[in-house]
Amino acid sequence: MKRYIILSILSLIILFGNFKFTLSSSFLQRIISLGPYITEEIYLLGAQDKLVGCTIYCQRPSEAQKKEKVGTVIQINIEKILTLKPDLVIATSLTQKKDIEKLKNLGIRVIKFSSPKNFFEICSQFLELGKILGKYGLAKKIVQEVKDKVLEIKRKTKNLAKVKVFVEVGTNPLFTITKDSFLNDFIEFSGGINIAKDAKTGIYSREAVLKENPDVIIIATMGIIADKEKIIWGKYKNLEAVKNNRIYIMDAYKLCSPTPVSFLETLEELVKILHK
Amino acid sequence: MKEIILKIKNLSCGYDSQIILSDINLTVERGKLLGIIGPNGAGKTTLIRAITGIIRPKQGNIFFEDKDIYQIGLKGLAKKIAVVPQSIITNSMTVEEFVLLGRIPHYKRFQFLETKKDQEIAKKTLELTDTLKLKDRSILEISSGERQLVLIAKALAQEPKLLLLDEPTAHLDIGHQIKIMQLIEKLNKNENLTVLVVLHDLNLASQYCEELVLLNEGKIIRQGSVNEVLNYRDIEKVYKTTVLIKENPLNKRPFIILFPPKGMDE
Amino acid sequence: MRSKIIRWIIWVGILVGFLLIISIFSLFVGSTYIPFKKIISLIFTGKGSIEYSVLFDIRLPRILLGFAIGGALSLAGVILQGLFRNSLVEPYTLGISGGAALGVCLNIILQLDRNLGILSLPVCGFLGAVLIILILYSLSIKKGILKIQELLLMGVMLSFISSSLIMLIMSISRTEDLHGIVFWIMGSLEEPNWSLIKAIVSISLLGLVFSYLFCHALNALSLGEEEALHLGINVEITKRLLFILASLLTGFSVSIAGIIGFVGLAVPHFMRNLVGQDHRILLISSFLSGAGFLILCDTLARTIILPLELPVGVITGILGGSIFIYIISKKQIKL
Repeated sequence: MKRYIILSILSLIILFGNFKFTLSSSFLQRIISLGPYITEEIYLLGAQDKLVGCTIYCQRPSEAQKKEKVGTVIQINIEKILTLKPDLVIATSLTQKKDIEKLKNLGIRVIKFSSPKNFFEICSQFLELGKILGKYGLAKKIVQEVKDKVLEIKRKTKNLAKVKVFVEVGTNPLFTITKDSFLNDFIEFSGGINIAKDAKTGIYSREAVLKENPDVIIIATMGIIADKEKIIWGKYKNLEAVKNNRIYIMDAYKLCSPTPVSFLETLEELVKILHK
Repeated sequence: MKEIILKIKNLSCGYDSQIILSDINLTVERGKLLGIIGPNGAGKTTLIRAITGIIRPKQGNIFFEDKDIYQIGLKGLAKKIAVVPQSIITNSMTVEEFVLLGRIPHYKRFQFLETKKDQEIAKKTLELTDTLKLKDRSILEISSGERQLVLIAKALAQEPKLLLLDEPTAHLDIGHQIKIMQLIEKLNKNENLTVLVVLHDLNLASQYCEELVLLNEGKIIRQGSVNEVLNYRDIEKVYKTTVLIKENPLNKRPFIILFPPKGMDE
Repeated sequence: MRSKIIRWIIWVGILVGFLLIISIFSLFVGSTYIPFKKIISLIFTGKGSIEYSVLFDIRLPRILLGFAIGGALSLAGVILQGLFRNSLVEPYTLGISGGAALGVCLNIILQLDRNLGILSLPVCGFLGAVLIILILYSLSIKKGILKIQELLLMGVMLSFISSSLIMLIMSISRTEDLHGIVFWIMGSLEEPNWSLIKAIVSISLLGLVFSYLFCHALNALSLGEEEALHLGINVEITKRLLFILASLLTGFSVSIAGIIGFVGLAVPHFMRNLVGQDHRILLISSFLSGAGFLILCDTLARTIILPLELPVGVITGILGGSIFIYIISKKQIKL
């Protein structure tokens, strides 16, 4: 009898002890997000009660603004994070390596979500987040819905005439998107051709744009710069995009925020722009 | 009395590839007050630099108290030979602090502060040069005449056996010129300090030095008593000008009057 | 003379006190308020609580790093200003920081830390600094003489070249790398590795002790190289050793903490006006005040706009620069 009791106690200890080492969702009650899109995804999954802190740039949805702030995307306040007693900190590729190291040294669990390179990665990241938050079922459902709708868009645009697109995400120097970014998927899925798809880096010259002569120019920077750029492009009268008045400004924040839902929304908007 | 303190043998030296001094032979007895004269560019400053070991000879040797100066080493030499430059550039510090810098050669290996002895020696040199009253003034704020005296005080603080002065009276008014030369004379006589002083003023050299060395184009033209060296032929040839040499009625030493190149016939 | 010694002792006492007060203040202050009584009890109860971690794992390392780097940079500044007889020289004039920054840039864009571990970043920075030091050293020695003025000019030029190369790298790097480079350059006293912190504290203190072997030589050098030779100082050896010492202190500091300006330039300058130009008091005064100043600036950097943190170089530059200008202009008005 004694032997059995000891054995069962031992096995219970081992079982419970092991729990500590796995990312069991039920133990993750306090999460800090270091990236705006991660915060958005947490809200999408309905897990915002577990979110105890985020960056000052986590502005969507607007409820996120009420959460405790732990710094910017790049410079985080480690002391603040520590005092919030998180079970998990989700970092992005913009989080400084030193800070991640420091958090780990302080015994805080950190996961890094690198910037997704394409739609597929956006979805798999979302699913992983779902797993971590114990909302895998909901995540799967959302991803499936989005995937279905994306497929449908792809189907619809397959037979439409391809539109040459140049997407400007940065000015001075002129910056565009190559196939390394998920933004490229926007263009391809919506039936467009990204003129800079195979470029080596994102730095592009205006001359190269003129040479490629895109049908559509999309400016994805913010505020007055976007307006200025529209005027500057307008001066190149020989561009197809200028001739047909197809220079558009899109919300950079939404465009560059890689959640599945925002991806879909942006894709729909883009389809409207490209295939009026 | 006839002890040799400094001996320069067959010295040739210069900077980079240029030879400034050639074949210099000079013997200085302890306690002598020797003046070094010569036109600009003759190599007077180079000679001082050679004696202190700053310029390595290309040929020849320099012996201080019978030892090769390169065997004595920089620090050892600094305890025996001190140089008074024409002027210095420095940060603001008090006269006392400045003079105490002269004690650095005597600091022991890890000595950090001045000892009582260092302070006493500094005080003594200030007294000798009649600058004790300036000890708390900033060295940048005193007059150039007073500063020259302070430079001498600092050199004396090194407790040298040989004092070298490089044109100490340049830029000074006649009152201070006399003061400096009298001080040098006093140090030479009372403290038995051997002095080598480079002078541009021939009359000061004549009046105060025991012996003279006339340098020109890196060579010693004449060496000897004041009367021997200050003769027409050598002076006129070396300085390329005409002079009139009379006897100073006050001390019977040669007195050189500058002769205008044109005009008066004699 | 006694008064001079007393004056020095008083200055050291004041500066040590200043340093202690600032350090303790820095320990108290932060985004979490920890009451004084709690701190005392924490020291005795030991590990485990969050507050303990905040004090001793977050704040204390930063204070120690601020001490070491503020001291090292100020010390390097004093040494270089004495070596070059120019009070506008500072540790970054020689281009050593440019070399370190270049090393760090290359490390970031080549992602060397993936293969070589996170320690590779400061190591690359240090190697970059050493490269510049070697270049400067070998190019400035002609016929066995270390030419100080040429050293200075070459350092300035190397500094420009490094900056241009860094800008080149920044223009072709990915966004994530770019952010990493920019924020490294802005300077930070955040360092996860305790052994690195211990190392730099020891190096800094060793540097201070070592510099005192040259206190008389530095005083003599202030009169000029020839005059120093007349005083029996071996000027060549002194120049070389001091250059290497100052460069190493700078190289270590920059590779760990990035570029924190102003400390190496203005602290020695400022202290020279307060305590005098005698290096026996100047070396330690600059070290202590530089340390305290950097700790103060870092404390401000992490508390002024909570919960955000400013890069410490921003505070040293603005605060230090403004105070300095104010004091200099006041002096002129007095005249």
